[in-house]
Amino acid sequence: MNGWIGTFLRIDLTTGKISTQPLDADLARDYIGARGLGTKFLFDEVDPTVDALSPANKLIFAPGPFTGTYAPSGGRYNVVTKGPLTGAIAAANSGGTWGPALKYAGFDAVIFEGKAPKPVYVWIKDQQVEIRDASHLWGKTVPETSDGIRAETDEDAHVACIGPAGENQVLFACIMNDLHRAAGRSGVGAVMGSKNLKAVAVIGTGAVTCANKDRFEQVVMKVRAIIQQHPIGGTGLRLYGTDVLTNVLNEIGAHPTKNFHDGYYPTADKIGGESLTAKVLQRPKGCFACIISCGRVSKVTNPKFKGQGEGPEYETAWGFGSSCLIDDLDAVTKANYICNEYGMDTITMGSTVACAMELYDIGAITKEDTGGIALEWGNAEAMVEMTRLTAIGVGFGKKLALGSYRLGELYGHPEFSMTVKKQEIPAYDPRAIQGIGLNYATVNCGAAHVRGYTIQPEVLGVPAKVDKDTIEGKPELVIKYQNLTAALDAAGACLFTTFGIGAEELAELLSAVTGVEYSTDDFMKCGDRIWNLERLWNLRAGLSAKDDMLPERLLKLPIKTGPSKGSVNRLPEMLPIYYERRGWDASGVPTDARLRELGLA
Amino acid sequence: MVVSYFGMLRDIAGRKEEDWEQPAATVGELLHRVVAEYGPQFGRWVLDNGDLLNLAIVLVNGRDVRGLQRLATPLKPTDNVTLFPPVAGG
Amino acid sequence: MAKMLMIHADKCTGCRNCELACSMSHEGAFRLQATSVHVYTWEREGFSVPMMCQQCNDAPCIKVCTPNALTRDAVTGLVNLDHAKCIGCKMCVQACPFGNAVWDEVANKIHKCDTCGGDPQCAKFCPSHALEWVDDTVATRDRKRAFASKFKDAFSE
Repeated sequence: MNGWIGTFLRIDLTTGKISTQPLDADLARDYIGARGLGTKFLFDEVDPTVDALSPANKLIFAPGPFTGTYAPSGGRYNVVTKGPLTGAIAAANSGGTWGPALKYAGFDAVIFEGKAPKPVYVWIKDQQVEIRDASHLWGKTVPETSDGIRAETDEDAHVACIGPAGENQVLFACIMNDLHRAAGRSGVGAVMGSKNLKAVAVIGTGAVTCANKDRFEQVVMKVRAIIQQHPIGGTGLRLYGTDVLTNVLNEIGAHPTKNFHDGYYPTADKIGGESLTAKVLQRPKGCFACIISCGRVSKVTNPKFKGQGEGPEYETAWGFGSSCLIDDLDAVTKANYICNEYGMDTITMGSTVACAMELYDIGAITKEDTGGIALEWGNAEAMVEMTRLTAIGVGFGKKLALGSYRLGELYGHPEFSMTVKKQEIPAYDPRAIQGIGLNYATVNCGAAHVRGYTIQPEVLGVPAKVDKDTIEGKPELVIKYQNLTAALDAAGACLFTTFGIGAEELAELLSAVTGVEYSTDDFMKCGDRIWNLERLWNLRAGLSAKDDMLPERLLKLPIKTGPSKGSVNRLPEMLPIYYERRGWDASGVPTDARLRELGLA
Repeated sequence: MVVSYFGMLRDIAGRKEEDWEQPAATVGELLHRVVAEYGPQFGRWVLDNGDLLNLAIVLVNGRDVRGLQRLATPLKPTDNVTLFPPVAGG
Repeated sequence: MAKMLMIHADKCTGCRNCELACSMSHEGAFRLQATSVHVYTWEREGFSVPMMCQQCNDAPCIKVCTPNALTRDAVTGLVNLDHAKCIGCKMCVQACPFGNAVWDEVANKIHKCDTCGGDPQCAKFCPSHALEWVDDTVATRDRKRAFASKFKDAFSE
């Protein structure tokens, strides 16, 4: 096979059995890889009603056919499992260099089953796979774990691991690879911790081959030129990172502020990309095969929040910043470093702190609950301390570790949790941007922006500007983005290549590298298929149309100030049209006809 | 008329915002004056052959001119104009 | 005037496009043990450095090569490796003070940068201009000038 390796690993952590299996060519063709392949394995092998933190859940790591080649910014992998935060399918996407290493070692995926009797890590050196004792690593941070494993395996080993947060099953614990890259959302790190799996270390000396080298090189050069000449993919992201969006969203009044009380934060500029570049940025960083380099190598010298690492991204700056009424960049960056070192999702962490601040504000929680900390709006030290306590599982941190939904419920105010399917909504106010609201409501993994990033047309104007306040055409737009992204994720490509290219170029790249011909329609159909498979699994897990919702606040409480003042999200008008356009019935269930069309019936 | 600059436009203009004392009647008139002031290295991020650069984000009181009348969008002396070069994120 | 591959490590983003381009153009596949350029990344500091044969004027590898597989081309200034003459003794690996001669146990050969016949693919694929194929005089001038301007700025206050 080309692009794909043709083999995947299966590791039963309960028994210690390690086996390899061939990758079926038809499966590869229909699901492409990464998110698609992981979803197919999960669908076929895991009962959707299992407890996400039980040994019956499986944890699947899968790169795509692009991963390990020079497909521009095509070095990604996915982690697919049942998410403990949401009770739904979880597919977390990460960059760095770990995904390519797994391909070079000779595998398209590794499926972890069961639970190890004691903490272990897995060491993959080409075809040599070992389960090793990790008791001396348990309790260590992500950097300490990486150092420790490299010292006893290979100094160039690529390490994907959990920190103490995953071990303590913080419901939004993540998996970190290459120190600073995260397979972030839905608690995939907690699943890893529940299996007593501390890390997966890989080194590979094998090759990823290409079916049609000349054609691939030609398409790669064409795609590189398009992206590099694109002002966003080629310049904007390298100069300012994703955090440049803080001011963009704020100036149109769509920057959620104070736990979505408002859509405009007067001092947001202090935590925006321009300030980041001026104050804490050292240099840009790129993932494997990346030509965009949106990564931020940063350092905080302020002794109060001293640290070094990568980030913050837009979502992070928002979550620890505007959402909590904090405009201290050093504090926000420090909270980001803590999340990276201990392995936690920054969106959920920030939004959970904001929810806690709202509970504190009305007296639903007091200093007695917080261990004496005044968890007031705008208190930067308190925000950082709460993040730290959650990371180490101490005091009020243990409650925050549940995420905002369960926290809100615990203290009698679930309406303060800005979540969909119990996952925190990211940094684009759906009252000011109609399409992204529909996306949040319908993404199978819970509220997420990257799964259907309609911000591109609705705010940025890529490829063309669409009115953010209209609901007309939004269901079709959201569906198109959701399908495209599913196929793109499955290929191992980075979402940011869409600042420049679309399904046509991605299909060309995929055809050239694999030797399997994908038309643009074929490519989009794979995405559609993956989307519907995720949906079917969720329905069997017990989710239904009632989970395709938005919090009351976003449907009923208009934005207070700023250019989008007075708006609410009109989800109830868009959702029925969305179901219809998806070929689902009025309850959001895929019809048999639709499933047959996609080869799923 | 307050004009605010973001992204690399800030570095090129050398400031975050300024009070444009001579009000312009339209967005186009204003942009041409701003570009005349700061030169082609500024201009390339907002204009494209005299027309609005498609990926630039120009706001009048927080509303995107691409949904209004683009460069022909009228301006009042009390309006706030915000200029972003093409930017992105996630 | 000879050309050289100038390394601007401060611009390196650690993306490995250079390694991928090198292995694809020489070996026809993406295999990172089969490259002549290697990138070293220090993840904590976020700093990366690409390294490849420096085509030394007075090359230790040439001195130790008994079959004369390694020779110096007076015109291009490059240290050429004739794989047909190479006996795989790995003395060049021992001798290179920079570690830039690499033994590939899978392909049973030495990898050493050959500048792709004067059109280095690594420089072409580098997205951040961390690798530049330049005249060996201009190459140093730009960096010198950049530092000289710091003196100018310091003294002009």
